[in-house]
This record gives sequence, structure tokens and C-alpha cells, in this order.
Amino acid sequence: MVDLSDHAIIQRVLSGDVEAYARLVDRHYARCVRIAARILGNREDAEDAIQETFLRAFHALGDYEDRERFSAWLTSILVNQCRSQLARTRRREAVFPDVDPLDVDWTAGDGTGASPWPELEHALARLPADQREALVLKYADDLTYQEMARITGAGESALKMRVQRAFARLRALLREVPSV
Amino acid sequence: MSDLELERSVSAALHRDLPVDERAKARIMSRVREASHAAPRRHDFHLRRGTRHSIVGLALAAGIGSVTTLSALLPAPASADASVSSVVLGDTVVSTLRDTLRLVRLMFADPEARRVAVVGDFNGWRSDATPLVREPGTSHWSVTLALRDGQHRYAFVVDGTRWAPDPSAQRRGMDDGRVYSLLNVARATN
Repeated sequence: MVDLSDHAIIQRVLSGDVEAYARLVDRHYARCVRIAARILGNREDAEDAIQETFLRAFHALGDYEDRERFSAWLTSILVNQCRSQLARTRRREAVFPDVDPLDVDWTAGDGTGASPWPELEHALARLPADQREALVLKYADDLTYQEMARITGAGESALKMRVQRAFARLRALLREVPSV
Repeated sequence: MSDLELERSVSAALHRDLPVDERAKARIMSRVREASHAAPRRHDFHLRRGTRHSIVGLALAAGIGSVTTLSALLPAPASADASVSSVVLGDTVVSTLRDTLRLVRLMFADPEARRVAVVGDFNGWRSDATPLVREPGTSHWSVTLALRDGQHRYAFVVDGTRWAPDPSAQRRGMDDGRVYSLLNVARATN
């Protein structure tokens, strides 16, 4: 099958080929899981947010302008959905009041098994929501600070500070976790 | 652990792909298909639901089938003719916009159509508001609209049930899963 660009697929969808949208879902789903599951801390909420994201993107496809990368545009919708989900579940400040992040299935999708960094996963899940979001966007999605600023609405310097604080907090959390 | 080592570990941990539930992807496409069949929420246009509509409507939306469409802009007049405009838009709209109205002629060809209408943001997406007239002895349908300057969204409705964007339009968009055509109206250009 021809490997169409995101832009070409979008043009097909806009021409009425609704099934072509499945290729965009296939192409970007795993990345969305990586982002949403880390931001929200559980797969169920993440899948709800992702489903809503792809549906909203479909509805808004006519407004998408290709001067922006489709992946970044999709991520901006996803981040908004994750924030709404967090607000709905009242977990903005403490994402895991009842759920131990070590119980969340962080098994890799490539069949390589459980995470080799269980303490780190634990610490990441305990970061404040804004710091975790910044860290996820920077390292799970490889976004630039400029792209992160556009997506989150925060300034670049504020985002750099969040990432810096996230690392400081991670260090503190990792010192608290006894070695396995 | 050094700062660099910590950053590398964080990057590696966050880059790891998590399991993908294929059923979740299927659910997304199921909802997308539903949305593509649903009537637009912000529009008043209502289609009769049925197998015939679904199949034919999708084919038309995809630009497939025997329908061909011709659209053209007439040269913009110095001032719009209110008598023409009132047929299309109604007196209220025309009276407030007459200084910026342009005449636009839309043409549509379908030998099997019994009636054709244009719906758009200029007539509230009402399928009974702006019928096209068949040119005698041909399969061509046309209507002249008086539109204000700016961008307009529109589509054709055939026999009251089939939604068809204009395949000859330069630009298209989608709202609530329904594809529409975009028309830019401006002085002496489209």
C-alpha cells in the first residue's frame, strides 16, 4: 500500500473517503497512547481521551491547516482532552490517590515486557500534573519548547522551568524509593 | 545517577511504546463512521435515513458516480440586484447586505435528479430554501445566488436525500463528518 503523507490522507478524507481516516488512526494511535497514558496515569482514561481526540480531529479536519504538523495539531487536541479528563476525575494535583502506578500496565507494546525502570515509572507518576505533562511532551513526543508552548498555552521559559523542576522532583522521589 | 543519565533514562522510559488495544482503534473508526452519517449538529438540514441514502450519499460525498458539477461565478456587478437577491436570501438579509452582494451562479448536472437544491451557511442549510432550476432539455440544473463577500460553505442536495459537495470546488471542508464545499466571494474574483 502506498505510504501516503498525513496531508494526502487528510485530503482523501475531506473528499469523502471516510475510511482513509483509519490510516491516520493507525499511524498516530501508539504515540497518543504513550502521551495520554503517561499524563493521565491509567489506560482506561487514556483510551477515552484518545477516542475523543480522534473524533474531534475528524470533525475539525476541515479547519486543519498544513502549515502545522498534523501530529502536533493532534497532540494539542489530545492534551486538551487529557486536561478535561483530569479535571473530570479531580486528579489534577494528585493523579494516583488510590492507584499505585506500579500496578498500572506499563508493559511495553513491542513485547519486550515490563519496564526496566520501575522506580522511575513510579516517580514519574507522582510528579505534579503540569510538570509531568511538560516532561511527557518533551520526551515522549520529542516536541520543541516552541511547539510545547503552542500546545499548552504556557510560555517557553515557564515550560523549561517545569521540566527543570520535574527533574529535581524526580531526583527527590528516586531517593525515597528503596532499590529493588 | 548524573543529570545526563537521569535525562536519558526518562527519555527512554517515556519513549517506550505501551500496548495498543486494536479494539480501541476499531471503536474510534466505528464512531467516526457514525459521525459521518449523522446530520450536522449546527445545521437545520435533515436527511431521511435509509440504506439508499447511505450508499448513494457516501458515493456522492466521495465524488464517485455519475454526478458532475459545474460551478461558475458571473462577473461581479457594480451593485447587487435586490430583485434577484430576494428570491434566494429573503428580504431581511438582502436589505442589510445589498451593498456587498455579488451574483454567483451554481450549476449542477445529474441526468437522474428530480430536484436539486443548494444548502449552505447563506440559507441556514435548509434544503427547501434554494432550489435549482433544470435547464429545459438538459440534465443541467442552476441557480443564481446573491452572496455577500467572504467565504461560504455549501453543498447540493439531490432529491431531498442525497448530500453532494461540489467536486469542482477548489476547497472543501468537513463539519460533523459531512463534507462541504467552500466558495470565496469577492469583488471581481472568486
